[in-house]
Amino acid sequence: MKESAGGKLFSVIVHLVLILIALTCILPFLHMIALSVSEGHAVDLGRVWFWPVGLDFTAYEYFFENTPALRAFGNSVVITLVGTALSMLATVLTAYPLSRRYLYARKPLTTAALFTMLFSGGIIPTYLVMNQLHLTNTYWSLWFVGLVSTYNMLIMKSYFENIPGEVTESAQMDGCGELQLLGRIVLPLSLPMLATLTLFYGVGYWNMFMNVILYINRTDLQNLMVVVQGMLQIQSMDNMMAMDIMQQQELISEKLKAVGVMVMVVPMLAVYPFLQKYFVQGVMLGSIKG
Amino acid sequence: MPITPAAADTDRTLKAKQAFFATKRFRQNIPLFIMLIPGVLFYVIFRYFPMGGLVIAFKNYNFHDGILSSPWVGLKNFELLFQSKATLQIIWNTLTLSVLNLIFGFPAPIIIAIALNEIRRNWLKRWIQTIIYLPHFLSWVIVAGLILTLFSIDGGTLNKLLGQWGMEPVPFLYRADSWIAIFIGSGMWKEMGFGAIIYLAALSAIDPSLYESAALDGAGKLRRIWHITLPGLRPTIVLLLILGMGRLMEVGFDQVYNLQNPTVLEKAEVISTYVYKVGLQHAQFSLTTAMGLFESFVGLVLVLSANALARKFDQGLF
Repeated sequence: MKESAGGKLFSVIVHLVLILIALTCILPFLHMIALSVSEGHAVDLGRVWFWPVGLDFTAYEYFFENTPALRAFGNSVVITLVGTALSMLATVLTAYPLSRRYLYARKPLTTAALFTMLFSGGIIPTYLVMNQLHLTNTYWSLWFVGLVSTYNMLIMKSYFENIPGEVTESAQMDGCGELQLLGRIVLPLSLPMLATLTLFYGVGYWNMFMNVILYINRTDLQNLMVVVQGMLQIQSMDNMMAMDIMQQQELISEKLKAVGVMVMVVPMLAVYPFLQKYFVQGVMLGSIKG
Repeated sequence: MPITPAAADTDRTLKAKQAFFATKRFRQNIPLFIMLIPGVLFYVIFRYFPMGGLVIAFKNYNFHDGILSSPWVGLKNFELLFQSKATLQIIWNTLTLSVLNLIFGFPAPIIIAIALNEIRRNWLKRWIQTIIYLPHFLSWVIVAGLILTLFSIDGGTLNKLLGQWGMEPVPFLYRADSWIAIFIGSGMWKEMGFGAIIYLAALSAIDPSLYESAALDGAGKLRRIWHITLPGLRPTIVLLLILGMGRLMEVGFDQVYNLQNPTVLEKAEVISTYVYKVGLQHAQFSLTTAMGLFESFVGLVLVLSANALARKFDQGLF
């Protein structure tokens, strides 16, 4: 079938718009990379666009030696690894029973979980509970406050429900207990979904910001996001009040900002291509049913 | 459970059967409930206890007396909330920003999904998808860093560009209108690609023969989109709109907190940031809990009424 002139024009516009949008997602990062490794005076003169002018890594050295960023980076890794493991475990242990048709009180339990998506106690009451349990200023507060994401749990539950009944029933006939059924049959059949949810939790913990400033006061325990945010904030007050600080930081401030952003982005960029194919698959699976 | 013809079953065997299944079911349930322990503890302690803690919105909370024995004050906190100009402004800001977010942010993923669907070269489609999903995975701290680099008044890329063209620098981040535009735009930029995934899933379920027969009948591309694609997306659109209504009273804390600055605070302070600053940092627990309760309650009412409305068209979510 031949396309009409209007159809062709439409197609050209669609391509242009999408490519333009894709460029807005890439170019800022190229700009940041270029800024972070270029020579200082070239940055100040505004001569750096998407390709470095000269090569100068002193901002990275300065960043890791003179700021608490390295420790914060380590904290972020601990928060993310332990948190993701705990969350996945708790989510599997919640979603699996709720996916079994013969569970007593299955409906009210599911509704009780669902309700928390619609209504919540909010920041202050949650903080008071955390405080009462003496969990503030420990990572347990971060791991517990979002232990099970109801959204992720419901995706997992509907995925488990879609595993054909014949598979699980025949295993149960052979005397397979619930734990074995979960570990040997249900989980191995759910790998793409598990990969997706691991990514979602991992990203959530890595990017965690609000909960850290709510629950963690000790600076030596703060994660990368909070530490870098503090640095960006000082340097961003380019209004009158903060002029003194600005002048102190003037030397490498523009570059240092870029370095801070790069250090946060790079781990994400490193794992993104590998996990990308899973999450598209996983989100699709969750969305069709949910 | 399968039931054999009633005539073959006497009352006694039926009862015995039921008892058997009851015990079998009971035995099956024991390990399930053991598995549920962590989840139930989590929901009770960290989701439902805080809901109970909302009572301090009607009390004058102090650390010494705790949640239970702090004195009741009735609706005094709410009166304070709705009489103070400052708090009304904050509620108004929250509403403005989130309504704008919905108006601009909601259609964007739909448009992206429809546009992606028009691309026939698969490799190009995959590349574009991979790239535009990326911002979703970045924290607001990073996005705020990007925005500072682009828009700040001294050393911001855009202002350097303006300077090279001989123009005066523009304080993009320090004027209320341009700040709001940057706020809404950054939210769209971050989420529109990822938000398109769910619509793409719905699009792949549309029968391709519909397009072919429409094309044979002489329908152009736009008309095919209007008459086939959009109706095919309707259930998904309604579903996400209901969920979006529930979030109408909240503006993501991370986004506002990272983008706001003292100069635009009058327009940029929202409920969640105010609750954090005044509630936690200045120990105004009861007043800010009242504010949070108001936010949650309006959200609940909105989502339930949106759902009731959708139900009238047989598209309710629950």
